[in-house]
Amino acid sequence: MTSEVPPDVGRLMRWRAPLVWLSLLMLLAAGMAWLTPLFHWVEPGARQVIYPHGDFLVLLGRHLLVVSVASLLAVLLGVGAAVLVTRPAGRDFLPLVAQFASMGQTFPPVAVLALAVPVLGFGTWPIIVALLLYGLLPIVRNTLAGLEGLEAGVMEAARGMGMSASQRLLQVELPLAAPVILAGIRTSVTVNIATAALGATVGASNLGAPIISGIVNGNTAYVLQGAVLIGLLALCVDSAFERLQRGLGHPGR
Amino acid sequence: MRVSAHARAPGANRVVVALSVAALLALWGVAAIGVAPNRIVPGTPLKLAEVAGWYGALLGSLPLLALAALAWRPELARLKLALGLALALLMALPAGLALLGALALDPALPQARLGLGPAFWLLLFLLALVLIELRTRLWLGSLAGWGMVAAVALAWGATGWVLSSWLAPLALWQEYRVRSEAFGTAVLYHLLLVGGAVGASLVLGTAIALAMRRSRRLERAGFTLLNLVQTIPSLALFGLLLAPLAWLAANVGWLHALGVRGIGWAPAFLALLGYSLLPMVRNTFVALSGVEAGVLEAARGMGMSRAQVFWQVRLPLALPVVLEGIRITTVQAIGLAAVAALVGAGGLGTFIFQGLGQAAMDLVLLGALPILAMALAADALLGALSRRLSPQENRSHGGAG
Repeated sequence: MTSEVPPDVGRLMRWRAPLVWLSLLMLLAAGMAWLTPLFHWVEPGARQVIYPHGDFLVLLGRHLLVVSVASLLAVLLGVGAAVLVTRPAGRDFLPLVAQFASMGQTFPPVAVLALAVPVLGFGTWPIIVALLLYGLLPIVRNTLAGLEGLEAGVMEAARGMGMSASQRLLQVELPLAAPVILAGIRTSVTVNIATAALGATVGASNLGAPIISGIVNGNTAYVLQGAVLIGLLALCVDSAFERLQRGLGHPGR
Repeated sequence: MRVSAHARAPGANRVVVALSVAALLALWGVAAIGVAPNRIVPGTPLKLAEVAGWYGALLGSLPLLALAALAWRPELARLKLALGLALALLMALPAGLALLGALALDPALPQARLGLGPAFWLLLFLLALVLIELRTRLWLGSLAGWGMVAAVALAWGATGWVLSSWLAPLALWQEYRVRSEAFGTAVLYHLLLVGGAVGASLVLGTAIALAMRRSRRLERAGFTLLNLVQTIPSLALFGLLLAPLAWLAANVGWLHALGVRGIGWAPAFLALLGYSLLPMVRNTFVALSGVEAGVLEAARGMGMSRAQVFWQVRLPLALPVVLEGIRITTVQAIGLAAVAALVGAGGLGTFIFQGLGQAAMDLVLLGALPILAMALAADALLGALSRRLSPQENRSHGGAG
């Protein structure tokens, strides 16, 4: 499609959507104060119209930190667990893990977060653990689907070429399953961004905090600031994943 | 899932053994209950051995040891026995709790509260996993699954009724008792919100899917927009709707009269509708276009009229897919409606956020557990219905794969 365009420009063009969202996000996070008149118009009665407790860039950074730590651990553990139960040694556990991974996604994330707090307590780590636990499920499920969905002929050929079990896993199975695994990671990260925002109700200071504070104090301007930034963050990350998926071939959803 | 029984006759069922060992570790390692003199004081966590003594704890461990022993040699008869044992254990869980409560609570303190410890939750979770595993290994159908759920529910209800005086100090029950009316209203509101959003999205989604089938451009634009909405986190979408709705309520009289406000049911309903549309439109669209041209050709060739083709061919083939859309949408909406409590829409989320605010964890449970139960029930019921109506795979259960 982009045969007329020089290759590096074409590559950049393909990342256009995530880049647009990213620059909008950074611009707004850094320069929310410039929009003060607009927010005065939204919330004419209030003296303070820009969320005062924390710089938006810091809130964004904390949000990203929690989501990325949880997602990274979820990817490592989720893919690891799925690989383990598809090897001969762990195969006994496959039916149970597969059933639980698909059933567990029925649990609403809010309920998981709410149930994690009594067990783990308030603060950043409980939220990370809750996100991690919930984020595991789509990753495990999709990794299993990807690994189990490989054609028998491909595996046969790899074995015939004299590849060892680990070579087959790293050079054949995981690369072929990658699009489906990536789709699972995308679901997981999207849900985590949303659920992390809810963490503001249990005392986390992130982009959810302006929304909660705005609702509690009846200040629509705060709510808008938090909501716009979270929305942009979600769109930015999601469109980046879409790009990655397209780079890997057909999205396997 | 196809690799099972006949592939490996000998060798222990390592899954059940591992789950039993984990349950034993939980029983001995972490607190089974928490005891507090009243609502304000945080409870003292107590392990099983601390309440029931060493002999009591050993006695309590026996069924789990038996479970592991039965799974060690997985012959059919022994696995069936293990299933029965695990089911009986699950059914007896509240009775055990009542017993521990009676042992641990000082009768001189009428305000005393009994909390559920991590060992209780872990035992519940692990036993449920044992049942799922054994159900798969024994090739039991969904009817057996429903039977087990019914048996557990019945046993728990009966225990609650018979041992009501022993279970009365249960903190969860205390939280319920003081707001039983509010609880009923919250459940009703929750269901109304979910039902309204799912119903509206079914009507609107079908209309959108029909329109999309007419125009490819509309199809692409529609899916892009709905995907965009789905991506935006719920809290943000509620927030984004707040300002325009507040403006509308202030400036448009009839909307105000209808009860539309920036805070309340209006933003909740709109956001839930927005989230519900993508799965609904996607499935309806697939259902509408999924009927193969050959089938329709054959139906027309048999001399069916357009109406007959719709009612006797298209609809029966499309219905399971549409129902699948309703299932996804309903489960999603049950969870999202909990978040709606933050924008004042009521529902069970109110208890969750109130409880989190007051650090009253049993109040959080009072909101979260029914939501969890509702989501699981909706998923199971609608899933079963769609499988029953599906013409291709009415025999095979368990949709994983």
